[in-house]
Formats: sequence, C-alpha cells, structure tokens
Amino acid sequence: MPQDKSTGNRIFDCINYTLLMLIALICVLPFVYVLAVSFTSPAEVAKGGLILWPKEWSLASYRYIFSTDTLFRSMLVSIYITVLGTFINLLFTSLMAYPLARTHLRGRQGILLAVLFTMLFGGGMIPTYFVVKAMHLTNSLWSLMIPNAISAFNLIVLKNFFQQIPDGLEDSARIDGCNDVGVLFRIVLPLSLPAMATFGLFYAVGHWNQFFNAILYINDSRLYPIQVLLRQIVILSQSSIGDTSIDNTEIQPLTIRMAVIVFATVPILLVYPFLQKHFAKGVMLGSVKG
Amino acid sequence: MKTYSVLLLSILIVFGTLAGCAPFGWSDEKSSASAPFYLPIGAALIGELPPKNNVVEQAIEAYTHTELQFEWIPMSAYDDKLRLMIAAGELPKLIKLGYAPVYIATIKDGQFWELGPLLKDYPHLSALDNQYYKNISVEGRIYGVPIIRDFGRATIQYRKDWFDRLGLEVPITLEDWYRVVRALTLEDPDGNGKQDTYGMVLEKKYNQDVSSILTRISVSQGGPNKWLVENGHFTPEFMTKPFFDTMKLFRRLYKENLINSDFVVVDTNETTKIYDSGRAGIQISGGNVQTWLDKLTKTVPDAIVDVALLTGPGGIRLPGEAGNAGFLAIPKDSVKTLEEVEKILDFLNKLFEPPMQTVITKGVEGRHWADRGDYTEVLNRTLDLKEVKPYRDLLPFLADDQSSIKPSLQPELYLKNQKIGQVNRAYIVENPALTLESDTYREKGKELETIILDAETKFIMGMIDEEGWNAELAKWKQAGGDQMSLEYERSL
Amino acid sequence: MATSTGLPNIQARKGKLATLLRDIIRDKWLYLMLLPGVIYFIIFKYVPMYGVTMAFMDYKPYTGFLGSPWVGFKHFERFFSEPQFGMLFRNTVILAVYNLAFFFPMPIILSLMMNEVRRSKFKNFVQTLIYIPHFVSWVVVVGIFYMLLTTENGILNELLYQITGKKIAFLLEAEWFRTMIISQSIWKEIGWGTVIFMAALAGVDLQQYEAARIDGASRWRQLWHITLPAIRSTIVILFILRLGNFLDSGFEHIFLMLTPTNREVGEVFDTYVYTKGMTQAQYSYSAAVGLFKSTIGLVLVLGSNWLAKRFGEEGIY
Repeated sequence: MPQDKSTGNRIFDCINYTLLMLIALICVLPFVYVLAVSFTSPAEVAKGGLILWPKEWSLASYRYIFSTDTLFRSMLVSIYITVLGTFINLLFTSLMAYPLARTHLRGRQGILLAVLFTMLFGGGMIPTYFVVKAMHLTNSLWSLMIPNAISAFNLIVLKNFFQQIPDGLEDSARIDGCNDVGVLFRIVLPLSLPAMATFGLFYAVGHWNQFFNAILYINDSRLYPIQVLLRQIVILSQSSIGDTSIDNTEIQPLTIRMAVIVFATVPILLVYPFLQKHFAKGVMLGSVKG
Repeated sequence: MKTYSVLLLSILIVFGTLAGCAPFGWSDEKSSASAPFYLPIGAALIGELPPKNNVVEQAIEAYTHTELQFEWIPMSAYDDKLRLMIAAGELPKLIKLGYAPVYIATIKDGQFWELGPLLKDYPHLSALDNQYYKNISVEGRIYGVPIIRDFGRATIQYRKDWFDRLGLEVPITLEDWYRVVRALTLEDPDGNGKQDTYGMVLEKKYNQDVSSILTRISVSQGGPNKWLVENGHFTPEFMTKPFFDTMKLFRRLYKENLINSDFVVVDTNETTKIYDSGRAGIQISGGNVQTWLDKLTKTVPDAIVDVALLTGPGGIRLPGEAGNAGFLAIPKDSVKTLEEVEKILDFLNKLFEPPMQTVITKGVEGRHWADRGDYTEVLNRTLDLKEVKPYRDLLPFLADDQSSIKPSLQPELYLKNQKIGQVNRAYIVENPALTLESDTYREKGKELETIILDAETKFIMGMIDEEGWNAELAKWKQAGGDQMSLEYERSL
Repeated sequence: MATSTGLPNIQARKGKLATLLRDIIRDKWLYLMLLPGVIYFIIFKYVPMYGVTMAFMDYKPYTGFLGSPWVGFKHFERFFSEPQFGMLFRNTVILAVYNLAFFFPMPIILSLMMNEVRRSKFKNFVQTLIYIPHFVSWVVVVGIFYMLLTTENGILNELLYQITGKKIAFLLEAEWFRTMIISQSIWKEIGWGTVIFMAALAGVDLQQYEAARIDGASRWRQLWHITLPAIRSTIVILFILRLGNFLDSGFEHIFLMLTPTNREVGEVFDTYVYTKGMTQAQYSYSAAVGLFKSTIGLVLVLGSNWLAKRFGEEGIY
C-alpha cells in the first residue's frame, strides 16, 4: 500500500490529528475548570480569575457533600434507576425493533407510523400523570422506568441498524431450528453490540438526567434522583427564581456547586469508556459478513 | 430456544408483580398508639433538600404533637406539580402558595378554606400585624397564614473606607449618586494606582420585581412604588418624573462607562463576586450587609463597610414589599372537616410560640446553636444550611420582631442593619396595586412588563432616545396597559 | 352476471386472506415480540393522547377535562392573530434552518474525521473527551460563554481587544445571537452526536477498505464510496426525525440567552409561550401552540420520508 505513505496522506493525517486534538481540548477545558474549582479553597476562588489547577488544594467542598446522607442516597437512587431502567429499555426496545426490521412482516408500516406519531404528538403532562397513577406507579421508582420504557427515536434508529444485518445469517440460524426469538438473542443482538452499546448509553444518560418526571411522580423526597438535588444546588443558586426571601448569605459558594456537579456527573461519564470496547466489536460483524 | 421465551416471560411477570411496590421498600409506617395528628405539608424547596426526619423536624413534631410529612417540591417545578396535585385531587393538608394570579384563581374557585373568621381563636395568629394578612387577601378574605418577611428591606450598603478616602457622603439626590459612582470608578478608591474599580455594578434583573434598583431610587426621590394613585387615577411608575430622571441617571452612568457595560447579560453570582472581591463600592440591597463584609474581609482584610437608610431629598423613603414569601393554605380536597382545619390552625399557632420560633430560625440547641448566656451562637454553618434553612424558608416566623427569642451573637453591623429594617417600616411607600385585581394583568401582565423592562434597558444603553421611549410607552398602553390601569381603578 | 364477476374477486380475497393468515402464523413469534412494545405505546402514549383536546377548551386543572368548556379554535385564532406572530414564526424558522444547516452536519463531519484515525487509542481518547460537554447543563454552558465573551474582562474579548483595539458585545448584540446559539449547541452536542455515527461506522467491513486500497482508490474515494454509504441511511433517518421537531428551539437554552437587546431576533415560540404562562397558567393556549408545532413537524416528516423513499432510501416506515 504505497498510497498510505504519500505526502498527501501524511499532511491529511497531520491536520486531522491536530484538529481532533484541538476539538477535544476545547471540549474538555471547561470541565477541567469545574474540577479544579471543586478542589480549590473558596478564598482562592473569591479572588477571581480562571482556575485550571488548584493552587491551594482543599477537600472542603467534598466534605460538605458527605456531611449528610441526602446526596449520597440520591446517587444510589440514580444508579438504581439507571441500571435497571436501561436494562428494561434495551430489552423492550430490541424486542420491538427486531420484528419491525423484518420487511416482510405484515402491519409493520402501520405500527412504525403509529410509533412515529407519538414522537410528534403527546397528551401532555396531566393525562400522562393520570395513566401513571392508574398503573399504581406514582411515588415509586418504577414511575421513572416504566413510563419511558421505549423511546420512539431509539426504536426507529435501532430498527434501522437491525435492518442492515444481512438476511443470510438469520436464515441459516432459522434452518438450524431457531425461532425468531432465538434469532434475535443468538444472532442479531451479538452482532449488534455497537448498536446496543449506543442505545444503552443513550438510555442510561436519559435516566441519569431525569429530574422533571421525578418531581412530578414522586412525593417522597428520599426517592429523588441526584439530578433533582443537583439542580437545586446549582441552578437555584443563580437566584433566577426571583424569590425575594432568598438572601445571598444562603447561596452556596462556587466551590461547592462545582463539587456537586463533579459528584453528580462523574459516574455517568465513566459509562462511555466502559462501553467503548463494544464499539470496536463491530469489526466482528464485518468478518462474519465476508 | 424455549429457554429464551421462558426467560422473557418470567421477566415480564416479575416486572408485572414488582410494579406495584416501591423497590427499596422505604415506607413510613408508624404505630398510631398516641396518634399524633398526621399532617402532610406541600413545601417549596428553595435550597437544598434536608435529610428526612432530621432533628428539626422531630423537634417540631414533638412540640406540636404532630406527625409531619414534608413533601419537598423544588421551586423550579412547583407550579407544575401543584397543577397535577390539583388535577388529581392529591393535595396535602397544608400547602405553600404564592400570591400570584395562578393561585389566586384557584382560591377564588373555592379550593381552599377561608381562615379569616377563625383566626380570632388563635392568639398568635390573630396578633400578627394586619398588613401581613391584607397583603395576601383575595377579594378581601383571608385564606392563609403568611410566611412573614420584612416590609421594607432596601438599604444603602457602601465601602466606608473608600468613601472616607475620597471624602464622599452617602448619596441623597440623583446628582449625588452620579458624583459618588463617578468618584468610586475614576478616583482609585482602593489606592492601588489602577483604574480597576466600579462605583456600582448592575445585574441583568436589575429592574425586575420589588428589588428593582430603578424603583428603589425613584421612590427615594419621591416617586411611587410601582403605581401612582392620584384622585383614584392609576399611573405606572415609569410614567412619572422621578422614575424617568432615575433612568436618565443610569443612561448617563452607562454612557460614561461608570457602570459595567455587560449588565444586560451578567447574573447575580458574578456581580456579587465583584462586590465580594473589593471591586465595587456601593449597592442598594435587601440582604444583610454583614454578609458582604464577611466575604469581603477574606480578600480585603481591612475593608470597612457601612449601611445607611435609603434617603432622598424628602427624607427617608423606600418601597414597601409584600411582607411575605407566600402563605400556607388549607385545601378543601384533603381537609374535609372544620375540626381538622382547627387542628391545622392550632399547629400553625403553636409555631409562633417562643420555643418553636427558636427552632425554626436557629434549629436545635447543641446541634445547630449553643447558649452563651445573653446570646446564642451558630455552631455549624453547614448543618444550619442543610437542616434549618429549609424550615426557615417555609414556616412562618417573625422576621422583624424576634423579641421572643434570645438574640444571636451577631456583629454590630448585622444588628445595625436589622435595626434599619425596623426603622424602615415607618417610611415605606406601599404599592397600591399589590392586592388589586386586573384581568388584563392576569392575561398578559408578563408581556406588558417585558415591553417596559426591555425599553428601560434600551434607554439606559442609549439604543433609544426619549422619543423612542415614548413610543414604547404608547406600545405598552395600546397592548393593554391602559386597560390595566382602568381595571385597577375600578377594583379600588 | 354478478356472480361471474364476483366469484374471482371473492376467491382472490379468500386467497389474500389465506396468505395473510399464513404469514401471520409464520411470524407468530415476531408478533409476540411486538406485543409488549405495542401495549406500552398504547397505554403510555395513546391513552393520554386525549390531552390534545385541551387545545380546544379553556382547561382548568380543578375542573378537569370533563368540566372545562369547549371553545373551538379560540386559542389558535388568538395565537395566529398575535401581533408578534410574524416575528415569532420568522425567528423560530430561521433558527431551525440554521440548526439544520450548521449544527446537524457537524457530528457527521467529526465522525468522518475520527473514522480516518487509525490509532484506536487516540480515537477512543478523543471520543471520551468530546462527549463530556453533553453532560454540562445549559446554565453552566451559558456561564462559560459569559466568562469567555463578556465585555468586562471576558477572556476572548480581552484578547480581541489586544489585537484589534475593539471589543464586541457578542452576548447582547442581536446580530450575534444566532451565531452564539448555534456555536453553543455545537460545542455542547457535537461529541454526543458522533456516538450514533461511530456505531454505524463500526459496522463497516474493514475488508472493503482493504480491497479499495488494492484497487488504488484514494482516501477521498474510499470515504465517498465506502464510508458515507455505510452511514447514509442513519443520516437520512436522523434528518427526518429532526424535522419532526423542526419548530422546537430548546427552551432553556434560548431563554438563558435572551436579553432586551436581542429579543427581536431571539424570541421564539417556546420562550413566548413560557412568558405567556407566567402570570396565568395558560394550559390550553400553550397546548394549542404545541399542537401547531407538532402539525408542522408531522407534515415535514411525512413529506421528507416520502421524498427519501422516492430516492430509494428506506426511510422510517
């Protein structure tokens, strides 16, 4: 492959790598700032200026987070709904996406159209609440997992991914005596690991970021996920709500707000590197196909 | 292949059965032996979530013989949640409402118990200044117990050391304000040889609601508080001369770069930081000045700060505020009998007794504060913030008259500020439209307000001149402003 | 006569019915798999759908759906006759078009760039970093842009001042508003947007590249003939779905960036409805606006899907 070593290619690579590095840097710098501030003493931050590395290290902000168990508890709630919720999502979505990917299935178009319709029109907050209540889900963590068990968007895109798997593979499995359920779990899902990782990530992040439904469906504040508390601490301290009873004495210092952001974000950030190896597994699909 | 279908089916069954119960098995079942009164409270959460069943909650429960169930609802979604609760008929027995059209409409619809006639049986509730009740009344009737705040909070807070160095006095006239801000900006008040200070910085909500600096200065110069009533005729503040002169002051300050050029986009956090790091010299604030000093001394150890009454050419004059941060009301949905209403009022009445006032404002002795003889001292700021503040925000306590409880150990400046708060009460200018009804306001009050707020900013920034300003006023009148004034007149 | 023409029809119908039955029986497992999903959509999406009727009543929560009076198209009429309607419509559409033109292609371009990286360690490293901003809330994003661009000691503006001697009020000048919104969106979501394309690209057979290289195809040709076709259907689908939300502008983001000085270009349907609802919860009015937006979205989705199919794409359904 002499072409790969041509100057043109090398220049291309050079520019490409530099650009990507630059983009990565621009994306990560603000987070470095957040991280650095969270480890800096409040006095240092008060002096102002951009902090990318703490001059005086301080764990005070993190000590504050753990001074009561509320944040920690809500973190457990978030982990719980994210893990279990994502499992439910992936199971239900792939179960539904697979039949819809089979182009010969009768009624398929109608169902897809009906699903698409729900992306555009919804009954709104109050009627949905009544359904959730009628299912006896309110004030339980199921209300954060079952009512959004399938995302129409993810379903449609996953269906599209499934469709790209060559029929030949499935047919050979069927000859081996598998029914459709078997084909899905034995052939299609293992071949779709990059897709499953992707939608797993989408769903997990969706669960992690839930806060509005939690406020609507849950009365017991001990079941609030971390985002509800994070928003309380980070956003309300912007004093944007115009409540005159708020005195600026009682606004949390920047260091604590940043520490809460770190605390509430790092667990979900770790999901991606963990899933990353599955994105590479897609190679397998290619080799089977060939 | 069958294993998969079996697995699948069993998973579905498991989900089906589990769906009904809470996964962590957290439930609050207590024996009802002595049967304390069970009272769920819908509470607006302003800051952080307090731990469940913490000592403050327990102290209140023990004293009032109740079993409280606080449903903390974050402020950001309070209206939505309340709407659901109303629609689903799931309101708790006591709930915090704000004095806003949404809630007033609900009250008018007969959703809440009228409390006015009952109050006389509760000594503490009936002893409250009548103005507190007046400001939350709907069609002249009382439907709640106010979460009390000061009526007059505005004070001038300034860097005394800078003023002394430059030989400045606390401003009284608009010209004074101009001179002071100019000197604080250009004459190097911190003596570091650099032009790095502001007289005053504004934030993007500078002209909104009760803490509008335009209203505050305009009132001090003799202007009305939001509305001027003359011969039963309503004129909005922004059509009065003092207000327009105040705007011209800021237009001048902006033009000469004496205030921050980015005030349209900056939020309070940033401006507070500028004051706290010793880069600005004067502000009108509703908070206690001691807070500023505490933070300031971290970066400028020898800074001196003082507080003064908002004074104009005609003497002390400041806008009056609502005197509440909402009120607690009793829904008819969840409270069916008068007997139960009385029990809840009894609970609220007890909250005004000295031991409860102490708990609400300071927390529990030994954990949040300590008795030091003549005064008390906060033991742990973090615990205070996490465990006491949520209740201080929600439950009623007498903000300006704390004679029933032991004074806190507070620095001189704090007490001075507090005292001014009490003095202010005598000099406030009421907002005459505060409790008046207007359909137009309900329909499009916020849109109308936006027209004016935007125009004020554009005028200060020099984007429109006096003619342009008048055009905006005409727009406001036509869009419903005139109608609103008329409706206020009629409802007076 | 009637029977002679009717008979084959009935037979044909019978035949069709038979094939239908046969197909259904053949695919019984597939239908069984569909069942949980279909039930889910019926219960949680279609049952609450009666809520759209709110747009045609004067809904009040305490009187409920049964007690609130029907008012027909009152809210729609009011909405269309708002003096600001023209401005809102223009602002919303322009922003939506900018989004499609500048924001939508960005993750695709970035994915293609990353696909050209042969060192998987570097690729993983970059991918891990660029998706972080997705987790930063809009409040924080806007705060960061403030720190960089404000005219009072904003880092980039100071730099600009050093170079040109002038400062630009990026955050409050109307002409910069859309640029700010789009660039903030790009910064926040570009990395996240690549995830789905990277997954699609993971399915590309590496041997194809091998073969192309042996044939002497240049990198651009490989990109054009192998990589792009592999993600084309994903791009088409995402584009069509995006059209469904064409008129959604991202309320929180816009609201945080709105100032008195840029309102004439920045006020969109979402922010306007919010302001409306501030003093009186105008449920029905906002439901009507929502319905209007959804209907436009539906037309766009159906139209674009039809077009996509005409061009030989699979489309959504």
